[in-house]
Amino acid sequence: MSQRHLLALFNNFEDAEAAIYELRAADIKGFNFDDLTLKSPIEHHEVESVLGQRSANVQWFSLGGSLLGGLLGFFLISGSQANFYAQMKGGKPIVPFPPNFVLTFEMCVLGGVFITILGFLICAGLPAKRSPLYNAKVSEDQIGVLVKADESAMAKIKGVFLNHQALEIQEEVSK
Amino acid sequence: MSVNNLLENWAQFRHFHPVDDKPHDPYKWAMSIDLDACTGCNACSVACYAENNLPVVGKEKYQHGHVMHWIRIERYWDESLGVAGGGDFPEQGAQFLPMMCQQCEAAPCETVCPAAATNHTADGLNSQIYNRCVGSRYCSANCPFKVRYFNWYDYPTTDNVWPAEMNQQLNPDVTVRSKGVMEKCTFCVQRLHAAKGTAKNEGRLVHDGDVQTACQQACPTSAITFGNLVDPESKVHKQWQSQQVELDKDAQVKDQKEGGSGLRGYRIFEELRPYPSVMYLERVRESAV
Amino acid sequence: MKDIREDIAWAQINQDVLKSMESPRKLYWVILFFAFAAFCVGVGCEVYQYQTGMGVANKNNPHAWGLYISTFIFWIGMSHSGTLLSAILHLMHADWRKPIFRFAEALTTFSLMTAGLFVMVHLGRLWQFYYSVPYPDERGLWPNFQSPLLWDAMAIFTYLSSSILFLYIGMIPDLAICRDHLHEGWRKKLYTLLSLGWEGTDRQWRNFRVTYLTIACFLIPLAVSVHSIVAADFAMSQQPGWHVTSFPAYFVAGALYSGCSAIITLFIILRYVFKFEEYMTLPILKKTVRLTFAIAMIWTYLNAVEFASVWYSHDQASKDVLIQKVVGPFAPFWWGMIFCGSVVPLMLAFKRFQTNVPVLFVVSLLLNLGMWLERWMIVAPTFSHGYYPWTWDHDQWPGFVQWGMVFASFGWFTMLFMGFCKVFPSVSMYEVKEMVYHRKLHLKNSETAEQGAH
Repeated sequence: MSQRHLLALFNNFEDAEAAIYELRAADIKGFNFDDLTLKSPIEHHEVESVLGQRSANVQWFSLGGSLLGGLLGFFLISGSQANFYAQMKGGKPIVPFPPNFVLTFEMCVLGGVFITILGFLICAGLPAKRSPLYNAKVSEDQIGVLVKADESAMAKIKGVFLNHQALEIQEEVSK
Repeated sequence: MSVNNLLENWAQFRHFHPVDDKPHDPYKWAMSIDLDACTGCNACSVACYAENNLPVVGKEKYQHGHVMHWIRIERYWDESLGVAGGGDFPEQGAQFLPMMCQQCEAAPCETVCPAAATNHTADGLNSQIYNRCVGSRYCSANCPFKVRYFNWYDYPTTDNVWPAEMNQQLNPDVTVRSKGVMEKCTFCVQRLHAAKGTAKNEGRLVHDGDVQTACQQACPTSAITFGNLVDPESKVHKQWQSQQVELDKDAQVKDQKEGGSGLRGYRIFEELRPYPSVMYLERVRESAV
Repeated sequence: MKDIREDIAWAQINQDVLKSMESPRKLYWVILFFAFAAFCVGVGCEVYQYQTGMGVANKNNPHAWGLYISTFIFWIGMSHSGTLLSAILHLMHADWRKPIFRFAEALTTFSLMTAGLFVMVHLGRLWQFYYSVPYPDERGLWPNFQSPLLWDAMAIFTYLSSSILFLYIGMIPDLAICRDHLHEGWRKKLYTLLSLGWEGTDRQWRNFRVTYLTIACFLIPLAVSVHSIVAADFAMSQQPGWHVTSFPAYFVAGALYSGCSAIITLFIILRYVFKFEEYMTLPILKKTVRLTFAIAMIWTYLNAVEFASVWYSHDQASKDVLIQKVVGPFAPFWWGMIFCGSVVPLMLAFKRFQTNVPVLFVVSLLLNLGMWLERWMIVAPTFSHGYYPWTWDHDQWPGFVQWGMVFASFGWFTMLFMGFCKVFPSVSMYEVKEMVYHRKLHLKNSETAEQGAH
């Protein structure tokens, strides 16, 4: 059965939250709760409890990136000092630890930040094509709930939204 | 590759010089300057200008402190003698000290150069690579002796530095330096190089006296002695030994004796641990004789 | 007094901030013009110096460093305020930072760019600067990793790239707003490109939050390390007056100090130029001022510690440098530093000045003057009174090329900063919305609680 998108706009978080609760409890046939997306102009993590467990994994990228950057930094620097004609400077050891640790730290942060950004783009799915239904009101002051469901479930979902004072409901034109 | 190199030669990369390192072999160039013999005549400085193609910057730039004397004669006045009424012969209060790069064994300038343009060589010199220098001047900032000179202008193309025929006398063995690089005394490295080459062709080491620095050659009172410190036959070795000055010490044993050793040899800023390669022999005071 | 009115409509926030990007006051163009003119002076000086040699800046041996390095430290220091506001206060949940952190981050980015220029301007052979960059080449030549200058280069690169990314990531939701609400044109295309298709979905916000937090955690130690490394340029050297153990802490405190006073200056300018009275409110200014006062006192304390530890040490050379600063040829500047850095901020302790905009404007400029003098007083006196007696009778004052370059750096910074504030939203719209929302929620909760009590 073909699936369609539906976007409902709400005036505040309470209404949107209530609508999502109801959809979650209703167990509508042809609608998977994971296909529901909340769009909001601000980050409001209390609302996320409504959505259930949805994870963010960026922090693992940070860990990996900083370890990678640090190791790369230390071995790149020590290795090049040892290769560079093993040139003695100022009576210090050719591979001196204190300076190398300073640079290792910098590389650690550099790797961490860069890979974190990479992880963010991957985890958040950016850059992305715009979803089929988008309303500029979402970046202003309204809360959007985007669902993807079978044709058959559309009417029920719409009913739920209207029950909770949805300001506007946009439907994808059927193909 | 580099990690392998690191692991295999680890011990070689982890020691401090000169304190827990073996001495230079077969050459360690060093100097000793007898301040009692120095008359402050500046001949050494002139010789250095001629030998090393130092730019003569002229009056105006001199006033701005852009002078390039690799070896400079410093004049100090003894307050008790050198002022009018201070002693029977006030002119005796003048004391001279020729100052040039001390070719430190653990040079403070080397560690701070971002481009690795200044390094310690295998024969104990503090080398300066003009081509590599980016002109951050950090070496000069960290030199306790302030003996490094920066090319503030492009002297080879400046008028009146080497006017018309004067450029004929430029030493072909030494490069001229363009603007933006640091330079300093090299212990006449071009002469050392030539002497080592000759000796190698003859299958021997450089003998004492084979090579002289320009300043040493020009000194009318032979105040400057230069040579190979690890050669037991060299005059400089004998002087250092008789003065009980050791290269790899930050405080000499003789100075810890009560009442002093009575020896004249000392190195400047020994306590900062640059381990300089130039030993000075203190002037003998009339009052002390 | 409230930090911000909680009854501002979200749509109103969008409108006000977007308006700042289209129609600022006339003063904006005046500032931009003068900034550009000042920048041109610097370009002229640099061309002259590049062609002729560093000698025209009137430095000499042994005065090898001058205003370039001092001003470099000054700009690096200024960059630390952005991290303070956006990262440290973020972790501390101080939500009054929300309307002002965006421009503070821009301050970080652009002052780092200005500082980077001074490294270049300072080099004797600018055309060979890449010799101090670690790049693999067929001759196996590497820079000297022991040099604090190289750590500097590395730290600045890390800090600059991280803070640009941090600024950018934090701006994505706002760029989406610009994309949705601005008229067609090149700017709309730019925002469409930069907002990466942000739609504010729960997945995006969730990952956004973690990313923002993580980078904030990276930035704090990074910012501390950057200025410690700048301090290491001096503390790792052997020179009297530089070889001081407390320098890293002292430098970091000085950095936060000058950054905070720069924030006050820019706060006042932006508030007027872009008509941000609703967002950059006086209570927020008051909080910033109090923070600045606290940091000023920390700086004063660390300054005193440095003097005391030199004075009671047996290091005669260091002591001589200190005496030279207090009574020697540098004395007017040194006392100026003490006055501007430690005495002037005492005014900030009085409530009546904490929200007095004209007074604060003058005070913040004086504080920054003091901090600039501080950097000069760290760099210069050591050269004229180092270990070696030969340096003692050599005084060398910076030539007009150096002054011109210092002057121009302010133009360059202002140009970049003001340009940024016009092209990008200088007040974070989504964060202000959050702030307003949380205030409203809090108000509602306390009202309900009150009713319950009755």
